[in-house]
Amino acid sequence: MSTTTSNKFSYKRFIQGELHQQNTLTLNHRRVFILPNKAGFAMLALIALMLVASINYNNSMGFVFTFLLASAAQVSTFYSFKNLSALEIKAVRATPFHLGEEGAYSLLIKELEGRERWNIAVSIGGTSHTIQHITGLESLTVQIPIKPSKRGWFDAETITLSSTFPLGIFRAWAPLKFEQKVLVYPQPLSFEKKIPHGNRQAHDGGSTSLTAGVDEFAGLRNYQQGEHYRHINWKAWAAEKGLYVNQFSAQQTPETWLDWSHCPIEQTEDKLSQLCQWIIDAEKLGLSYGLRIPGHELLPSRGAQHQHTCLKLLALYDA
Amino acid sequence: MRSASLSSPTALAPIKLLLGIAVLLILPHIGTLNPIFIGISLFFLAWRLIALFKPRLLPNNWLLLPLSFGMGFLVLKLHGMSLGREASSCFLLMLLGLKLLECKQNRDVLAAVFVSFFVLITPFLFEQTIPLAFYNLFIFLLLFSVLIINNAGSQSLSRVYFYRFAANITLLAIPLMLISFLLFPRVIGPLWALPSDANKGVSGISDTVNPGQFSNLALSNETAFRVRFADKAPAHQDLYWRGPVYWNTDGQKWARAAANPSLKVSQAAPSENKFSHSITMEPHERTWLFALDTPTTASESVRITNDYQLLMTNKLDRARSFDFTSSPRLAKTSLSEHERKRGLALPNSTDSRIYQLTMQWQQESNSPFEVVRKALGHFNKKFFYYTLSPPTLGKDPVAEFLFTTKRGFCGHYATSFAVLMRAAGIPARLVGGYQGGVYNAVGDFWEVRQADAHIWVEVWLEGRGWIRVDPTAAIAPSRIERSIDPNQLISGNEVSFLVLPTNTWRKFALQAESVLNAIDYYWQSGVLAYGPETQDDFLAHVGIDGWEDMILWLAVLSAITLAALTAYFHLSHYTQLDSAQRVYLAFCKKLAKKTGPRLSSESASDYFKRATKHYPTQASVLNTIKRLYLKTRYAEIEGGALLKAIKRFNFVRG
Repeated sequence: MSTTTSNKFSYKRFIQGELHQQNTLTLNHRRVFILPNKAGFAMLALIALMLVASINYNNSMGFVFTFLLASAAQVSTFYSFKNLSALEIKAVRATPFHLGEEGAYSLLIKELEGRERWNIAVSIGGTSHTIQHITGLESLTVQIPIKPSKRGWFDAETITLSSTFPLGIFRAWAPLKFEQKVLVYPQPLSFEKKIPHGNRQAHDGGSTSLTAGVDEFAGLRNYQQGEHYRHINWKAWAAEKGLYVNQFSAQQTPETWLDWSHCPIEQTEDKLSQLCQWIIDAEKLGLSYGLRIPGHELLPSRGAQHQHTCLKLLALYDA
Repeated sequence: MRSASLSSPTALAPIKLLLGIAVLLILPHIGTLNPIFIGISLFFLAWRLIALFKPRLLPNNWLLLPLSFGMGFLVLKLHGMSLGREASSCFLLMLLGLKLLECKQNRDVLAAVFVSFFVLITPFLFEQTIPLAFYNLFIFLLLFSVLIINNAGSQSLSRVYFYRFAANITLLAIPLMLISFLLFPRVIGPLWALPSDANKGVSGISDTVNPGQFSNLALSNETAFRVRFADKAPAHQDLYWRGPVYWNTDGQKWARAAANPSLKVSQAAPSENKFSHSITMEPHERTWLFALDTPTTASESVRITNDYQLLMTNKLDRARSFDFTSSPRLAKTSLSEHERKRGLALPNSTDSRIYQLTMQWQQESNSPFEVVRKALGHFNKKFFYYTLSPPTLGKDPVAEFLFTTKRGFCGHYATSFAVLMRAAGIPARLVGGYQGGVYNAVGDFWEVRQADAHIWVEVWLEGRGWIRVDPTAAIAPSRIERSIDPNQLISGNEVSFLVLPTNTWRKFALQAESVLNAIDYYWQSGVLAYGPETQDDFLAHVGIDGWEDMILWLAVLSAITLAALTAYFHLSHYTQLDSAQRVYLAFCKKLAKKTGPRLSSESASDYFKRATKHYPTQASVLNTIKRLYLKTRYAEIEGGALLKAIKRFNFVRG
């Protein structure tokens, strides 16, 4: 990593951190900055007062202790730096969550030099989390609460590790940028109470059995390795739609299509929220659901993976 | 791996420690500050202490605010509405107590510690002794520990780690502190006029002399000043330290003349009779200084008057060092008419018996010198006694002493001798100062104490000039009623601890005392007297002239020190591993031969789980090691058990 002189002293580097394409960073002298905080300026005023008193009374011992205080404050900056340096910070993949909920950005922090660390605040934007203590060579995960304002990939931009240890008069900080992003699903909102019936293909009525059977054709689902060739839907294969397996149930499972064009809401974001709500409901009810939005179509299926695929599609929808 | 926990905003542990420190901060002030404020500040601390257990007893801001104003007013009221050193100290003590009462959260602690740092230097305004310096250094370390504990949010005060941390920071700060102390340009004089209490309670010789005054000093063991001779020192009996000169008397007390012109020419003395010496004066709040009789040259800031007084423009308010050269005075040929008049002036009320006595001497002798000898002989033969507890004298002390009580000490003898001389027509004046001193072999200096205070007479003899006459020395030795403590007796003796080795223990004690005195001398002359003038002199020796140079060197040396510290911090990585961790890491390294290195993603628990697969038969030993390691690290048990468990482990067996 090379830094040109103009970059070295740029304001951005102090506040936002260097651009980095990795997800693991180690704090060193290039990344840790130190300046006095409010209490530090108060300490400066105190030292000035003590100095004036010492000068006024020509008091040698007054000078000695005033200078000792000032020097110790200066020396403490080295310990401020040491409190942050040689920490390895790794951005960990975090669980996606819905807009409006409080999610978390996860970091794995590892102490590399066998020293104790104290009182480190990790902050993203306005929210922060304080780590009170890290023992030598310890690893710990930190979940920094985040509350994004829009769906899609949440980019933490700059994550700042900061500490006022040991004296509370200097703030050492390290602005960090990671590639790791967090997926934010749309906010589930219910404008229409029910999942649209009109979109259900096949028969209505009857409770749904979740047990897979062989009696009646229930729908298609993704082919999984090792399934019997007789269950493969060869029509779909011939239509070059991919490998699908015919599903059968004792009683036929209704197949639900959650369709963009059938959603009776004008606003795009509201529409996405409604579709999101339907997906959650359908999954809860154990329905087999498909999703159609402009430019994309997901064939009916169910399960956590399918739900994630659907929600991701909605989250990243770009009109 | 564990999840990080949230910090709690209450700061009980640091407040507890701070309360203890506050008591330590108050202790040195007991005896110097108004007891009312000592009491109030202790009351505040007690209040805060009780509130630790009953938080609802903490005062709210509606009570604290009027309380603060009330205390501020009380301090000013009881100190004559001026903010001198006593008032400011009381003020800071009140502030500390109130700040502690306000203290609830971590950031309040910071403010309270800041006030404590200021309180810390206030006892130095009253005395700057070595024990106090160490005492305050100890408090300084504790205050730093409070800052660290407070910042770390620790709820326990018993971890040595934090105190060692504070000591480390302070230790590394000492070089920078020394550089600042030596090179920070000192400003002469106070930045604003100091209130009158700036330096109170200093004993010493005053600008008037009452016959009975010196007895207070005779019992004081305090140091007046310390002297170091450049090469040779005069004999002990010639150590007369000349101070103020008293010309005017009203029959009861003697006073200094208002203004004396400066000495015109310094008379050159033969070089073998020159005594160069430097004197480190304790602050005595007077404008005059003391030097070996008779001073001929002095430091720049000191004026020598034509009656050989050493005067400064301002009062001496702090310890300072001065350089003097002294030599026996050469004959002064003439006495001005004005001086003769002053030297003979006596009040009209002078007792007639005095004139009768001197008349008799004058008739019996043919020169003034013989009159002087007759007067000394009078003291020697007429049953005069030397005592430190003389009978009290009334309105005419000289006549009462000479003809009735005949008991007294230098003050009595000198004043009455001077009156006798003037009555006999011989110009006479009194000289105040010190006589003698104790030689300190360890530090090679002379220590002169208040107990050595002395007063003698100078008489003008035609053709010979002013001659020193010490009438106290004329008393017959058998008639000296000394009821002074042994220390005082010794102080008159040059090398007493070498001459009196009758008792080994006593000898040892005396030697220890002289070592302590030597240390104190260097403390006084090297550290405490390091002011604007000393700094200029000292730094000029190494080629640093003027404040621009000082600032330049201050910057350069600080930068070098900081660079050295940076290097130290970069090189001292793994130094802070504790013993348990070292043992543990060594164990893991050995274990790694079979299990492969510990993955960066593995915590202690994960790694041991993996290791158990390689050593299935020793699973319980591994488990014990893991448990002991975690306990040693986090719960702080002793590392011995861990070491034992590791020794039990067999790396070869599967």
